Amino acid sequence: MNSTAFQVIKHNRLSIIERWQEEMSNFQEGERELTHVTREVFLNANTEFIDKLMAQVTNDHETISPELKDFFERTIQIGWPLNYITQGLQTFLRVTLQVIMDQDFDKEEAFKIYDLLDRSIDGLFNEIVQYTTHTWKNTISVQKMALLELSAPLIPVFEHITVMPLIGTIDTERAKWIMENLLEGAIKHRSQVVLIDITGVPIVDTMVAHHIIQAAEAVRLIGAKCILVGIRPEIAQTIVNLGIDLSEFPTRSNLLKGIEAALELTNKKIETLS
Amino acid sequence: MAAQTCVDVRNEWDIVSARQLGRDLSKELGFSSVDQARITTAISELARNIYLYAGKGKVCIEPVKDVNRSGLQIIASDTGPGIQDIRKVMQDGFTTSGGLGAGLPGVKRLMDEFSINSSVDIGTEILITKWLR
Amino acid sequence: MRIPILKLHEYLLISIQMELDDMTALQFQEDLLNKIHDTGARGVVIDLTSVDMVDSFIAKVLGDVVKMSNLMGAKVVMTGIQPPVAITLIDLGIVMRDVPTALDLEQGLDKLQQELEV
Repeated sequence: MNSTAFQVIKHNRLSIIERWQEEMSNFQEGERELTHVTREVFLNANTEFIDKLMAQVTNDHETISPELKDFFERTIQIGWPLNYITQGLQTFLRVTLQVIMDQDFDKEEAFKIYDLLDRSIDGLFNEIVQYTTHTWKNTISVQKMALLELSAPLIPVFEHITVMPLIGTIDTERAKWIMENLLEGAIKHRSQVVLIDITGVPIVDTMVAHHIIQAAEAVRLIGAKCILVGIRPEIAQTIVNLGIDLSEFPTRSNLLKGIEAALELTNKKIETLS
Repeated sequence: MAAQTCVDVRNEWDIVSARQLGRDLSKELGFSSVDQARITTAISELARNIYLYAGKGKVCIEPVKDVNRSGLQIIASDTGPGIQDIRKVMQDGFTTSGGLGAGLPGVKRLMDEFSINSSVDIGTEILITKWLR
Repeated sequence: MRIPILKLHEYLLISIQMELDDMTALQFQEDLLNKIHDTGARGVVIDLTSVDMVDSFIAKVLGDVVKMSNLMGAKVVMTGIQPPVAITLIDLGIVMRDVPTALDLEQGLDKLQQELEV
């Protein structure tokens, strides 16, 4: 940054900080994420923010200082809104501009100073946007994996009998995941019978039925049997109305009936002790 | 690794070499065991088609990159009789060899991308791609 | 290369441990049928645990050998089909509905025993 700009900011350091503090002190109102933050903590954060920002600007670094970066990252990590930081940077730009305008510079000089300042704040904006998008992208991909894993659990209920409850809509990607999980799990648990429970699947159309039939065929190929359970009345209706042929696979209305059938297939039964 | 590797297909054993190459490359690129099997099987089907219908041709395999993903591309080409009616061979159950008729529609289902180019008496080229998930 | 066929009482056991080229597959078909004829075996278990790929040709040879064995009075059970193989077969549209399957050799033998008792 050129020396004039430097001098102006350094010289008016205190009044910039004061005006900034004044404007930013109102930020807490109306921010839902900050309603449970005490006034003291908020004002302390403000002081830290402006001190580090001021140090960054007056030290004239090309890149963001580790201290300021650390402050940004901490603020985001504890769940403060991103616009606390963006608002802070914009407010800094605005109050500094006011201060510059209060001086007696000619137009060109004033513009030069402002331009330099703007560019240096721009770098900070980029930094924070990059950091947050990176964090969000990570979070999304972790959640996507977690969701996929949650979406097709395989539960061994008796020796050689395993249940896979399906919940939610089934698209092609999920269907592939379900199939792989189902087969790996069936082998791991040495399942002779696998019950697929579709109680939690809201809509069974031709596509979903196709995926379920394929999964059942694959289960048969690896050497286990598949029973489809949780066929609600409306699903039975759609299956027949759509002309979907499920006759190759045993089906039961609910999980209980399915387990009884599975026990029978594995030569077991549950008896009441007299 | 970006180089293209080819196997000439003239006899039944070349089918095995072609799928061995696909198996090795897909493993190297980090495909899941299911996708490795899909790629290997697709190559086997295409190489067998060359052997059965064209007599000779080649299967080329190379790693490919897109904007945000990478994968494996396979080109099976021959200078055989070509395919009269592509629409027909892309129907499930169509077969001229007395096989299961899983053929090309099956290959298409195994892969993410499938394109075919064929002219009668000139030859056939099939390009398939599988992307890393 | 030939696939070894083991005899155990009235059963034949085959574990396919090699890359199946077309000739080996067809040779196996012939060998198995001859062995059924020679031994009068009533049951056959073909274990595919070590097979990592089955294309439509091999699937057809295996499917055919099951039908041919049945004609000769021997029941066949296929065991140990791995998930990647099962999934690719489904993708290819091959379901082998007439082929009895079991998880592993042990359950395959149990299945044969049950079917032969009835």
